Amino acid sequence: MQTKITRREWLAVSAGAAFLSGCGKEVPIVPAKVSIVRAPAYDQSIYDTMRRILADHKLDVRGRSVLLKPNLVEFEPESSINTNPLLVHAALEGFRALGASHVGIAEGPGHRRNTLDLADAAGYFKIVPDFENLFTDLNLDDVTRIRPTRQFSRLEKLYLPHTALAADLLVSMAKMKTHHWTGATLSMKNLFGTVPSGIYGWPKNVLHWAGIEECIADLHSAFPRQFAIVDGIVGMEGNGPIQGVPKRVGILVAGADPVAVDATCCRIMQIDPYKIGYLRLASGGMEAQITEENIRQTGEAIAAVATPFELPPDLPGLRIEKT
Amino acid sequence: MSIELLVSKQNHDGGWPYVNGRSWTEPTAYAVLALIAGGKSEPAARGIQWLRATQRPDGGWAPQTGVDDSTWVTSLVSILPPEHLGPGVHSRAIEWVLKTTGKESTLTYRIRERLLGNPRSPESQFPGWPWVPGAAAWVGPTSISILALCKENHRKGSPELRKRIEEGQGFLLTRMCLEGGWNHGSVRALGYESHPYPETTGMGLAALRGVASPKVDRALAVAKSFLAECHSADALNWLRLGLLAHRQLPPGYCPPAQIAYRTLPETSLDLLVSSMEKGNGPIWG
Repeated sequence: MQTKITRREWLAVSAGAAFLSGCGKEVPIVPAKVSIVRAPAYDQSIYDTMRRILADHKLDVRGRSVLLKPNLVEFEPESSINTNPLLVHAALEGFRALGASHVGIAEGPGHRRNTLDLADAAGYFKIVPDFENLFTDLNLDDVTRIRPTRQFSRLEKLYLPHTALAADLLVSMAKMKTHHWTGATLSMKNLFGTVPSGIYGWPKNVLHWAGIEECIADLHSAFPRQFAIVDGIVGMEGNGPIQGVPKRVGILVAGADPVAVDATCCRIMQIDPYKIGYLRLASGGMEAQITEENIRQTGEAIAAVATPFELPPDLPGLRIEKT
Repeated sequence: MSIELLVSKQNHDGGWPYVNGRSWTEPTAYAVLALIAGGKSEPAARGIQWLRATQRPDGGWAPQTGVDDSTWVTSLVSILPPEHLGPGVHSRAIEWVLKTTGKESTLTYRIRERLLGNPRSPESQFPGWPWVPGAAAWVGPTSISILALCKENHRKGSPELRKRIEEGQGFLLTRMCLEGGWNHGSVRALGYESHPYPETTGMGLAALRGVASPKVDRALAVAKSFLAECHSADALNWLRLGLLAHRQLPPGYCPPAQIAYRTLPETSLDLLVSSMEKGNGPIWG
């Protein structure tokens, strides 16, 4: 008696065979590329530096929409709290030059309701022509309920703004800062600004109750198409992300893998990336994305630019141990 | 921005967006308050209809249709007069406000903290209101909730209303920054003193209308200095309302001409406060 095998059964057998043939073999890890580029000051040279970074990463954004997500926190233009507007404008010009169909800027601050006033005080209106028309307040944008591909937090429902979800590429433009709860706030923590306060309030306290580290990992998996640029020209050390003090490093760190970018920033800040909870969560049990050997470094070497950031007062154990 | 422009921004469904787009509860509630104060009954009625249609089965409102949880915006809608909103709709909203507290004030949380041996901080003695149920209480939603309950208490007093109002005002007084005024609700962050914000200082003062204390005097002094230097429409609206609540708004005060009104709630609140400066009191009752 001949037994016919259905197409579905054949696919299942094939998949099983493929899985078994892979048992016992190490899955090759594709190293994530992260560039460290010197940028000594917020001046006109940033435009050329940014173009070089984007060219180095061979980003193909022709005909695609790009959304730049800076970090806007407080009305203190002279401090190092907010992402510098000159850097954001340089990225805007850089992505336009690469042929992006639309480059927007968006942010949803967690403390202050008057987002455009905050952006105005931070110098965005002065530096970025037509800023108000390019900008979306993510706190007040229409929302969609989503389910992250991997969920780590106790958050039952996650609503995210249409503008951020619809972008072909979300560019997280964070400041290099210490953080009194998570140790460091970099490109991944910057995604808290995509969570709409119009739904969750000011501050977005629900995220704290659901687990800060876990929510950062949720957001990382909610936005699969990302690029990260961390502003380390002047960062913040000590009791960051608000009450710390400026720390001049003179670099930009960039890459398409936010975990690898943030792990690299930690090493530059002399913070042990394996002790940053959200990095471990987002990189899975193997922590492969954090491992230095799995990151393809371009530009400056970490050792050439590393400078110890003063740690938050309650987190003295984060310092990287010399081996 | 004029009241006519506010009317022109009304969506076809009767609600208002923050700037453009779909209708949200917060801008709709502010717009309706401003229109009632301005005597524009037809667009106000359409806004009320939108609010009546979007009330959730638990008596509250979600920030936007499509979001399936009632939040702090319920308190804002509760400020609307019951004769406009409808007595049944209004009383269910007030019930929602009365039963809502910050998570730190819930019995299960307090028992858990006690079992863990965590001492109760002075700031958590008084229950306030959260932005979203299941999270902690903050100055913004607590202030709005007090305004709603004070208005209801003025209309139809009850011990339950008075208790929550007093607790809420106690919450505000214990959450005041050392220098006076309020930020979002953190008196200290990891041992560091926190500084006040103009907008929340105005909100806190509005909610403490009729309360006299040295702390309120300190907050008034901070509000007056913010009023002189602030360039945010949202902040100036709340500062004006807060100072007005204590009869401390300088006579003839006008916001600087270059102030940008960037969202519809900013426009509505400006119209509303201007109307209250003339003696009309749709927020106080």
